[in-house]
Amino acid sequence: MGEIKTESWMKRRLVNLKGVLKSDKIGLIIALIAIIVVFQVLTGNKFFTGKNVINILIASSIVGLVTIGESFLLISGQVDLSPGSVAAFSGVMVALLLSSGMSMWIAIPIVIVCGMIIGFINSLLVTKLKFEPFIATLATMSVFRGLAYILCEGRAIFVTNDKFLKLGAGRIWGIPIPVIIFFVMFLFFIIVSSKTRFGRSVYMIGGNANAARLAGINAFWVRSRLYILTSALAALGGIILAARMSTGQPSASVGLEFDAVTAVVLGGVAMSGGIGTLSGSLIGLFIMQAFNNGLMMVNVQSFWQTVARGVLLIAALSFDYIRNRQREAKEKQSLPQN
Amino acid sequence: MSKLEFQNITKVFPGVKALDNVSITAHGGEVTALVGENGAGKSTLLKVLNGDFIPEEGKYIIDGKERHFKSPREAIHAGIGIIYQERQVVPYLSVAENIYMDEIPMNKFGIIDFKKLNSDAQKVIDEFKLPFKPSVKVKDLSVAYQQMVEIMKVYRRNPKIIAFDEPTAALSDTEINELFKIIGQLKKKGIIVLYVSHRMKEIFQITDKVVIMKDGCHVDTLKTSETTEIEIVKLMVGRSLGDVFGELDRNKKLGDTILSVRNLTNDFVKDINFDLKAGEVLGFSGLVGAGRTETMRAIFGVDKHETGEIYLEGEKVVIKNPKQAIEKGLALCPEDRKDEGIVGERSVKENISVSILKKIIKYLMLDKRREVNLAEDSVKKFNIRTPHINKKIIELSGGNQQKVILARWIATNPKVLILDEPTKGIDVGAKSEIYKMICALAKEGIGVIVISSELPEVMGLCDRVIVMCSGKITGQVMRGEAKEEDILQLAMVGM
Repeated sequence: MGEIKTESWMKRRLVNLKGVLKSDKIGLIIALIAIIVVFQVLTGNKFFTGKNVINILIASSIVGLVTIGESFLLISGQVDLSPGSVAAFSGVMVALLLSSGMSMWIAIPIVIVCGMIIGFINSLLVTKLKFEPFIATLATMSVFRGLAYILCEGRAIFVTNDKFLKLGAGRIWGIPIPVIIFFVMFLFFIIVSSKTRFGRSVYMIGGNANAARLAGINAFWVRSRLYILTSALAALGGIILAARMSTGQPSASVGLEFDAVTAVVLGGVAMSGGIGTLSGSLIGLFIMQAFNNGLMMVNVQSFWQTVARGVLLIAALSFDYIRNRQREAKEKQSLPQN
Repeated sequence: MSKLEFQNITKVFPGVKALDNVSITAHGGEVTALVGENGAGKSTLLKVLNGDFIPEEGKYIIDGKERHFKSPREAIHAGIGIIYQERQVVPYLSVAENIYMDEIPMNKFGIIDFKKLNSDAQKVIDEFKLPFKPSVKVKDLSVAYQQMVEIMKVYRRNPKIIAFDEPTAALSDTEINELFKIIGQLKKKGIIVLYVSHRMKEIFQITDKVVIMKDGCHVDTLKTSETTEIEIVKLMVGRSLGDVFGELDRNKKLGDTILSVRNLTNDFVKDINFDLKAGEVLGFSGLVGAGRTETMRAIFGVDKHETGEIYLEGEKVVIKNPKQAIEKGLALCPEDRKDEGIVGERSVKENISVSILKKIIKYLMLDKRREVNLAEDSVKKFNIRTPHINKKIIELSGGNQQKVILARWIATNPKVLILDEPTKGIDVGAKSEIYKMICALAKEGIGVIVISSELPEVMGLCDRVIVMCSGKITGQVMRGEAKEEDILQLAMVGM
């Protein structure tokens, strides 16, 4: 009896393992391991240490929050370019509220609600006025970056609230709080994307918006929620960044959305929508951050890091292209439609 | 006379022989029809000829010369032209630019020589005796003329072979006649014409020879003048279909009126009134653009309607979007399966459950077990041919995709099921399966509305047929009471 049970359990495990090996993620995992190995050698075993891994995770935490939102948006066939500006705006705003003596338990919710309102504006531009997401959010990106500067008159706003600063620098069981927030959020939204009706709706809309609508999915609401979610997460990211730097800076987080989109595309979400997973994006994010961190450790000039990041995005898009080609080839391989 | 020979062509895809030792000959000055059910290998054969696929075995010989095309480009240079069902024209460019797309004439400064371009194009247009100018933008032409542009694009390269893959799918009857005139001209010039179609009528109208294929094999080649529709269909399916409609197990007991539409009016339709009884199969006939699809879209809340009321089981309902329609017990299976029906990149399972996600939630999450059960039951009930429920729906054949969509709607437990051209682009075998399903659903008490442009289909399948013309209902006939001509008259003249 016991033997049979173990056997079937083993079998299931093997099938699962095969599934992982067959999936797109295996390439990503290999890429991540390769990057780790290469930098481990180049840095003389200083790269893959507990301390440096924590560093990489801290660097991942804020862009990671935005990565969640961009993953959902790209899967649904859209994109948001405003998160960097929203994060800067939120950082300035929370710093201003706190320096006016407000409790952080009131200030943080207010800022996040503001973020949600910005997301709602984005969603109205896209769903009601039917602007291209790229153009609509390019506009709001500019608007809120500008408003961030106006709000603080171009100065950095310092924060002295100790409790608030703990949000950025504090640790629980040795793990920095920003990393914990990032992990909890990511885990939660991985479940949302794969196991809930909302998550499924996102995939269906991304796959074929017309069909999804005729099948009774309210595309307007799903899309609105995605923009609201993305901006709210960007606001949260901005707040955490302000806590880490103990200032609200209007010039912060430039290019945050590009890092997030790079991670998402690297992680296997198709630009055409409908395909990809949040867990893939997470691996994509780690690849990108490990790469950045590694370049820093081998003393590559920071200007070159910017170049490298662009190259990484090109690499990511090439992966997307090759995958598409493979998919098309596969479709050709399956029975012709006619 | 030129001659095209396929000799023992075999093309294997993983798990299936798409072409199995196929030998076919086609001559110049003849129109050769390729017929067969979906998956019979017609398109694969064209793709071999086109250089898209390289066959594992066999060869093809054009005018005595053995060829091995490795890409469509090579095939084009060797004089092969294929006209696909989906038009490959660029809408915002002119007719001339489209015709000479890959060989735009330049002057010595490298600037486009529009004068020469347009006069060259004019010559081609004149040869085809078409009434438009070469400078017209393609988007301003009718669908049929756009198709003509496509043909001219292929024709001006002086091809030896032109193959048409379901060219009439988007054309109306008059447009089809124009296309046939052109095909007649091509034939006279001695070009080898291959013609793939599902429509028997057309095959008898313009082809000289019929090549019948089944499951990747060449079954037989017949002279069109010496065969009959019944014989061809029999060879295609490998069994006698008999009278598909006569064999249907119809619902004989109609229930109460389940759906009433009163004075429905919007931009596309005017003053639509009709009733549907539980268990009834109601047909909607008419020409393309008569407003049948638009009527159903208005009822289903896809498009707005300005005035008019909808009653479900006697109660007035207001439906603003498809979601509300589904909640009230309506289901609409749209005409354009690819654009509005399937979510191609997602699995069969997800395509079935998409409309009832709300019903399979347990503890805030989707109950995967119930979803799997639903999909597996549907696959059995609707005889969906798929290796497993996690296969991407795009990889299924058209008929099986349609069955998945049907399963999606039946899962919502509808009172009224609206099917818009449910058998479009589907082979004969799958068609009769869908007819049987429709009758079975009517027996369960569902009111079924079938929009169809195929007259034998509406007349054979439906208990009653409503005919529309230019956005209005122009009449209705009961089954067995009307001839095709009567319906055509109502559809075309409106009286």
